[in-house]
Amino acid sequence: MSVADVTTTLPVPAADTAGAAAATSRRILFDEVSKFYGEVLGINRVNLAIPPGITSLVGPNGSGKTTLMNLMAGLLRPTRGRVSVLGLVPERPEEMFRTIGYATQHDAFPPGLTGFELIASYLRVHGYPRADAETLAWAAIERVGLADAAGRKVAAYSKGMRQRIKLAQAMAHRPSVLILDEPLNGLDPMARAEMTVLFRELAAAGLHVVVSTHILHEVDRISDQVVLLNGGYVVAEGEIEGVRDEMEEHPVQVAVLCDRPQLLASRLFLADHVVEAKLERGVLLVRTRDADRFYLLLNRVVLEEGVRIESVAPADSDVLAVYHYLIGGQEGVQR
Amino acid sequence: MSVLERASALDAAAVPPLPAPSWGLWRRQLAAAVRLELKKGFRGRRVLGVVLLAAMPVTLFALHALFNSPDDPANVGEVGWVFARLYQAFILRLVLFFGCVLVFGNLIRRELLDRSLHFYFLSPVRRPLLAAAKYLTGLVVTLSVFGAATIASFFLAYSAHDGSAVRRFIFDGPGLGHLSAYLGVTALACLGYGAVFLAAGFFTKSPALPAVTVFGWENLHFLLPPALKKISVIHYLQGLCPVPISQGPLAILADAPSPWVAVPGLLGLTLVLLGLSAWKIQRMEILYTED
Repeated sequence: MSVADVTTTLPVPAADTAGAAAATSRRILFDEVSKFYGEVLGINRVNLAIPPGITSLVGPNGSGKTTLMNLMAGLLRPTRGRVSVLGLVPERPEEMFRTIGYATQHDAFPPGLTGFELIASYLRVHGYPRADAETLAWAAIERVGLADAAGRKVAAYSKGMRQRIKLAQAMAHRPSVLILDEPLNGLDPMARAEMTVLFRELAAAGLHVVVSTHILHEVDRISDQVVLLNGGYVVAEGEIEGVRDEMEEHPVQVAVLCDRPQLLASRLFLADHVVEAKLERGVLLVRTRDADRFYLLLNRVVLEEGVRIESVAPADSDVLAVYHYLIGGQEGVQR
Repeated sequence: MSVLERASALDAAAVPPLPAPSWGLWRRQLAAAVRLELKKGFRGRRVLGVVLLAAMPVTLFALHALFNSPDDPANVGEVGWVFARLYQAFILRLVLFFGCVLVFGNLIRRELLDRSLHFYFLSPVRRPLLAAAKYLTGLVVTLSVFGAATIASFFLAYSAHDGSAVRRFIFDGPGLGHLSAYLGVTALACLGYGAVFLAAGFFTKSPALPAVTVFGWENLHFLLPPALKKISVIHYLQGLCPVPISQGPLAILADAPSPWVAVPGLLGLTLVLLGLSAWKIQRMEILYTED
C-alpha cells in the first residue's frame, strides 16, 4: 500500500448522503482543495473532514500547515476546491468569524495597545457593546493567565506572553472552532502543560481545536486526531492508532520486557510474519507484519517455555513513528 | 463590581451573543474600527509627518505676519490674491496632496508591513466596512489637521494688514465666504485624494509610485486637453476656489466647472474609487509569508 493509498482509504466528506447536511454543520470540510502561490504549491487536492476535538496538523516547515489554516480562516482563497467550517463559507466572514477564533503564527500586533486594549478593541470591532467587550476580554485574559500583565503594552511582552495573548484574542468571543498555529512555541514547560490542559478543556466542551505543530512529541499528548502533511499533500489523517493500522505493509514494532529475551526472540523469529527481533538495553523489540498473529504466538511461547513477561507494549504507535514510516526523516520536524 | 470581578463570575450565558447583522451592528462595528484606527494609527511619530506638513503654510503666513507692519497699506484684495496663489500652488498641490499620501497611502500598507492586518480580517465584519472605517479615519485626521491649517493660514495672511479693513472684509464682506470655500476645497481635496491613495494602497506595495504618478498628472493638468482635465482632482478643486488664478502662458484653457458640476463630479470620482477599494479588500488575501 502506498502513501497515497493511505490517504484515499480514509473517509472523505459524504456530500450526497442523507445526513450530509447535519454532518457538514458539525465539521470543517476541505473538498478537493488546492492552493498555489503562483507556480509554488501550497497544498494540493486536500480532502478533509475534521470533527470536534483536538486535531493536530503535523509536518515540517513548508509542508502546508499554515496554508491549510489560512484557508480554513478565509485569509487565503483556494485556487481550486471548496472549504466550509461548520457549514459556513469564508466568503462571508461576517458570519464565519462569529464561529472561528484564529491565533496565527505571526508574532506582530497593532502598535501602542496593552494586552487588555488589544482584546477589548477587537471585540468592539466584532460589534460587542463596551461593557460586554471588556467582560469577555478579561475573561479570556484570565483564562490564559495574563491578568497581571493585561495593562502592559503588548510590544513589551515576552514570546510566551505574546503566545498567550494571541490565544486569548482567538478565544475571547467564545468561538466553536479554534485554529492555533504553533501555539506552544516559545512557552516554558509549565506554560505548555497549562495550555495543553486548556486545549483539552475546550475540546471536552465540544469545540474544534485545530493545532499545527512541527514538534511531534507534543502531538500524542494533545491530539484526538492528526493530519500528516508533507510537501503540500495530506499523507494521512485520523486517529493515530487508526492511521497506524492503515499502514499494513509497515511492520508493527512491539517492545517485550521479560526474563529470557534471547529464548523468546529465537522462538518468535521462526514465524514468517516476524521480520526483526532485537535486544536493546534488555528490551526485546520485535517487528511483525501481523500484530494479531504475533500476540497469539507470544501467548503460546509464554505458556510452552514458561517465560515471565513483565510488559508488552507497542513501540511505534506514536505519531513520530507513523510520520517516519510515511515520510521518512525530515528536517524541520522535531522530536 | 469591577470588570475583573465580573469576568471572574462570568459564565457562558452572561454575555449575550452578537445580534444578527443589521444597520445598528454595522454602525457599531464601523465606529469601533475608526476608534481603534485612531488609537493605534495616529499617535506620536505616526502623525508627526502630517502635522509638520500642515505646519508649513501656517509657519509661512505666521512669519509673514511677524515681519510685516500691522499698518501695511496693502489692500485686502491683494492679500486675497496672494493667499489664493499660495493656497492653490502650495497648500492644495503640495501640502494637502502629500498629507493625503502620508495618511491614506499607509492605511493598508502600514498594517501589511507590521503584519497586523489579519486581526481585522479575523473579525466578523464585512470587509468593505473595514475599508470604509479606514477611509473615515483618514478623513477625520486630514480634515482636522488640514482644516485647522487652512483656517490658521487664512487669518494669519490677513493679520499683517490694516485691522479695520480686514474686519470689514471678513465680517461685512466676502471674507467668511472665501474662508468657507477654501475649507470646502480642503475637505473635498481630502475626500478625493484620500480615495485615490486608499485605492492605491490596495494595489501597490508602496505609496511612492502612485504618489509620483498622480503628482505628475495633477501638476501637468494645465497642459492637458479639456477632456483629460476632467479625470484629475485638481480640475474640480481649482474651479471651486473663490479667487481664480492664472494657469500660466502655456496652459490649455478650459472652462472651469461650475460648483454644480465640480462637487458631484468629485464625489462621483470618490465613490468610484471607494467602490474599487471595497472590491479589492473583499478579494484580498493575507500573504505576509508562506509557511
